Amino acid sequence: MKKFFSNLSLNKKLALIAISLGLVALIAGDPYGGTTIKVNEKSIALSTVNNSDKISVNELADWIIKNKSDFELIDLRNEEKFNEYSIPNARNIPLVQIPSSDLLRNQKIILFSDDNLEAAQGWFILKSKNYKGVYILDGGLNAWKEKILFPKAPVNASKDQLAEFEKMKEIAKFFGGQAQTDNSIEQTKQEIKLPTPTVNKQKNVPPTGKKKKREGC
Amino acid sequence: MNAPFFKFDYFNSDVSLIIAFVIGIAFGIALEKGGFGRATILASQFYFTNMRVLKVMFTAIVTAMLGLYFLSVIGFVDLSLVYLTQTNLLPMAVGGVIAGLGFIIGGYCPGTSMVAVATGKLDALVFVVGMIFGILVFGEMFPWIEEFFNSGYRGTITIPSYFNLSYGLVVFLVVLMAIGAFAAAEWGEKKMAAKTGKEIL
Repeated sequence: MKKFFSNLSLNKKLALIAISLGLVALIAGDPYGGTTIKVNEKSIALSTVNNSDKISVNELADWIIKNKSDFELIDLRNEEKFNEYSIPNARNIPLVQIPSSDLLRNQKIILFSDDNLEAAQGWFILKSKNYKGVYILDGGLNAWKEKILFPKAPVNASKDQLAEFEKMKEIAKFFGGQAQTDNSIEQTKQEIKLPTPTVNKQKNVPPTGKKKKREGC
Repeated sequence: MNAPFFKFDYFNSDVSLIIAFVIGIAFGIALEKGGFGRATILASQFYFTNMRVLKVMFTAIVTAMLGLYFLSVIGFVDLSLVYLTQTNLLPMAVGGVIAGLGFIIGGYCPGTSMVAVATGKLDALVFVVGMIFGILVFGEMFPWIEEFFNSGYRGTITIPSYFNLSYGLVVFLVVLMAIGAFAAAEWGEKKMAAKTGKEIL
């Protein structure tokens, strides 16, 4: 047997190795099922402490304005609430459907709900399923409304703060909201109208963000 | 330790550029060593007088496939993190025809033209200039063809999932196919050489 093998040309040896590996493959099983990764509870705990798992609403607003598309924004609330209002470009996947969603592990995923709680739950579900780039929109939709759509003028503001507020006003306008100055603060809450939701993506249309990722020869 | 390293955050995107550069250099050397830096060798594949391209490609495919398969079976590589191209049926077929035509006419594919430029081939330089011009034209035309570009979207399709076969079986069949192709290529080259009386490069 050994002599037979050593007498073969290099090409035939390689062919023989390939065939035997191929034969083993027949019974070796599914490569997608084979990956086992330990949940590293320490790194999960650490990321909650140094806030590396959170994205602020200001950051997100900036990305949307700049038309960045390397992330997937997921609204975890129910469909009814989603249809009422959601952040532009968001996709609706209610929390219960998160474990069976078609989200890809190599995407940057930003989760949000009304506040942090549901997003944190979704974050943990995805983390334990070995999703890498999962983030929580800090403060959720409440923070989005408060800081982006209807920012309040700072009291006794310094010059810098005022300049900052002018910027916030523009951002609020961009998203269809309105900054709250001293006069308008007196308005009752009901008068504040949420902007109408933008038309959301249909299914089976490739999300624009993917185009960038096309790889190949 | 798990792979892909980048997706598991072992290094950031700045470092990834350096690593890509190193891998790119190695890839270029491998292509040149494989004879892919010469248009005559590449073009003769289409006339079946020299089957080198088929042999090199199939060797690379089988090696990569077996490596990836077994590394992911033992749990080292997470295949779900490896990007797979999505399928747009008709646009891809049209693109394939255009790329194939360019390949025969120019004698290079985009990657090999870069290799040939690196070794100082003038025809490859012209090819690359043409390619960049083509990219420009494509970019300017894009609004008109965007609809077609995105049509026929089928998501990510793999052979095992489409034909409902096990991954192991597909791996085995591809190995058989490659070895069959090697044998056929050797046989065909001998026939062709006898017919044309020319030495194979």
